[in-house]
Amino acid sequence: MTNTINEFDEADLFFVIGTNTTAQHPLIGSRIINAKERGATLIVVDPREIQLARFADLHLRQNIGTDVAVLNGIMKIIIEEELYDVSFVETRTEGFDDLKKTVARYTPAIVEMISGIPASKLETAARLYAEADGAMIVYAMGITQHTTGTDNVKSCANLAMLTGHVGRPATGVNPLRGQNNVQGACDMGALPNVYSGYQKVIDDAVREKFESAWGVKELDDKVGLTITDMMAAAVTGDVKALYVMGENPMMSDPDSSHIEQALSNLDFFVVQDIFLSETAHLADVVLPAASFAEKSGTYTNSERRVQLARAAVTPPGTARQDWEIICDIATRAGYAMAYASPAEILAEINAVTPSYGGITFDRLSGGYGLQWPCPNEEHPGTPYLHKDKFAKGLGTFLPCDFRPLAEVPDEEYDFLLTTGRIYYHFHTGTMTRRTNLLAREAPGPTFEIHPDDAAKLGIRDGDMAELETRRGKITLNAEVTDRVPRKVVFSTFHFNEAPVNLLTNPVFDPVAKIPEYKGCAVKIRRCS
Amino acid sequence: MKSCAKKDMGRVLKVWSEDYRVIGPARQTQGDCIFDDFDEATFTMDYGKPSLPPKGSLFPNSEITFTVSEGEYHENTEREKVLLFGIRACDMMGIRQAANFMARGFDDPFYRARCENVLTVVMACKGPQNETCFCTTMRSGPWAEKGFDLQIFDMGDVYLVEAGSERGEMLMIERFFTEATSDDGERLASLKRESAAKVADVPAVRTAMERLAAGDVDDAVWDYFGGKCIVCGGCAFVCPTCTCFTVYDVVRGPREGERVRAWDACLFAGFTREASGHNPRSSQGLRLKRRHGHKLLDYNAADIQEAVSGCVGCGRCSDYCPVHIGTLEVVKAIAAW
Repeated sequence: MTNTINEFDEADLFFVIGTNTTAQHPLIGSRIINAKERGATLIVVDPREIQLARFADLHLRQNIGTDVAVLNGIMKIIIEEELYDVSFVETRTEGFDDLKKTVARYTPAIVEMISGIPASKLETAARLYAEADGAMIVYAMGITQHTTGTDNVKSCANLAMLTGHVGRPATGVNPLRGQNNVQGACDMGALPNVYSGYQKVIDDAVREKFESAWGVKELDDKVGLTITDMMAAAVTGDVKALYVMGENPMMSDPDSSHIEQALSNLDFFVVQDIFLSETAHLADVVLPAASFAEKSGTYTNSERRVQLARAAVTPPGTARQDWEIICDIATRAGYAMAYASPAEILAEINAVTPSYGGITFDRLSGGYGLQWPCPNEEHPGTPYLHKDKFAKGLGTFLPCDFRPLAEVPDEEYDFLLTTGRIYYHFHTGTMTRRTNLLAREAPGPTFEIHPDDAAKLGIRDGDMAELETRRGKITLNAEVTDRVPRKVVFSTFHFNEAPVNLLTNPVFDPVAKIPEYKGCAVKIRRCS
Repeated sequence: MKSCAKKDMGRVLKVWSEDYRVIGPARQTQGDCIFDDFDEATFTMDYGKPSLPPKGSLFPNSEITFTVSEGEYHENTEREKVLLFGIRACDMMGIRQAANFMARGFDDPFYRARCENVLTVVMACKGPQNETCFCTTMRSGPWAEKGFDLQIFDMGDVYLVEAGSERGEMLMIERFFTEATSDDGERLASLKRESAAKVADVPAVRTAMERLAAGDVDDAVWDYFGGKCIVCGGCAFVCPTCTCFTVYDVVRGPREGERVRAWDACLFAGFTREASGHNPRSSQGLRLKRRHGHKLLDYNAADIQEAVSGCVGCGRCSDYCPVHIGTLEVVKAIAAW
């Protein structure tokens, strides 16, 4: 997030696009509900009738995969009606003319044709957002899990810069993280192209710094592979060994049949996890790890806040903390990695990561966390980014053109399948399905289908049906509900008895390599 | 009635810890206060409303009721002796109500075993701990009438300590406790009057109770609250009198397993969903209606002791509900609708 969760209590307007936040981050969702009750304006852009839609002043139900067109349409109206922040655009940004030229093509009528959103609603949304004093854009995987994920994100940023809704409290572009430490994992360089704090592996000076910190020579100067690239390389035999920690790609990656083929083709496969997941079943070696309650260290949340957690219970059996396992493996592989504690590891992070320089173990022990960038011990942390200038100087508008989903419905596969999570389960269910109450609340896989479509297919609420795509098929119970629009079905990847990622399309955003989980063509048949 | 020097209280707890697991207010490194195992270094008498009621000491959020191993059944009713120090009067009423309910009709050996081994020391309040306290309306505070083993009053210069049971009498070690004087009695009476007068009365509670009893509550109230409930169950978990639980089995090995019971909440759809899939409480609004009916109607008249209803007025649901569906908000909405 460019901004801070507490600022939700001050914002005048929320532009919520592609996040079912009351189900996925209920405490953030609550803040939006409370804000609405104190008089804030709420615009929800989501194909589904999510809980927040009930509170929305305006609910725009776009066709799946048309976000760029919607956002461009809104920007076109804002520019045409001169509602944009002229002084912000002139002093803080560059590339406005390019943006203007691109979005000019997205007239309300054309956007209505692409997205299904009535032109008048689009105009109202544009005016409300532009004219608000403090407006926050809030999004999640509904924006990113597309072949156009990067374009969607750029378009959100364009909109915020155009209206000057960034660099001030209660504004900004605020992606809500779907896991407690996905921000921290990225910050620590669990990405193929950077060390901690986004320091590039191809930068000689950066590499030299890490070589000297670690007492080694010739760190690799090549960018590595993303998860999705690794799977493809495993199939061709270019990747021969894989070490997976706390990830369950057999359930979470698209086109599971392809993932199974990839993992089975490895010479050596290690999984480090707290349960024997679907993925761990395929491993040559399984290393038992400690769960969140059994380990100490820091997490970095959505708002860039680094927080200290201490172990509450000791790990069972032979399970150990991740850092201990990694240290031992490194040592046996010939590099004596000998940290004494998470505090010692954090001290190294402070030393080599400028944005984490002042986030020390002592400071975290005595407070409620610190938000990066926090370069030194006197620095209070940064509640919101881009205050007087962007990290790169001027903010560059990066206009994008609309591109449709990679796979759209046709005569045979005539529905659109979109996937996500539900309130009661987390990801592939390795933890939540083992939790009695949660398993009772959502015991098995279902898919949502509109009553009109269900009637045509002879499907009643609770009936078993088969969903089939070009990749595979699953059977599961129907939930007949107008939460989904017509010709769209929604399901989740929580349940291994009907793994929805057997169906999803393994096509990726060209930059981020994120799969298009949010839309593929599917056909539906009632099971007799 | 006895009196105890303020500076001695930590030492008293230290002595008690020789015989009991003492749980009381503890200052954390960040400055906030929780209830935790007694430790001289963190013990404090400067605390407000504990964020959780003490019910977990009698009714843990999950507990193994029995284990089965190689065909042997073992009931888990062995209990350590626990002394709950510094609980508030509203929480004392919560314990009394819950204990009565849990003992009604049939014996619950797991709960009973804890009850028999828990001692309570109430710290009377000198007024509301925060703006959501309404114990005087519910007749549960600011001091406790009975149920406790000891009750402490902060007189400013000393603590006055009242025993509510023989076990409580035994706790008052001669070394630290001296007989109170008749003067102390008068001072206490006036302290009680002042303390009670400081806690605001909430007439909306009575109006809401009357309307609920008369079936005169517009369903729109429940639709409104149901629409924004995020179904976290937090109101039930922080409630001193909520004791609903679910039961499940955990298989530990081929011939090994355990039965567990864990906190549940009527706010969850699965709580009332039937085997057919039909749910008599079919919406979140109806589930909230049921919950507040249970708290504010006398469904449980047999269990409310001398209080007004199943709600003891601690105000925690109003403190913690992320979307403001606490009892205070609900009764005010019912009264004003």
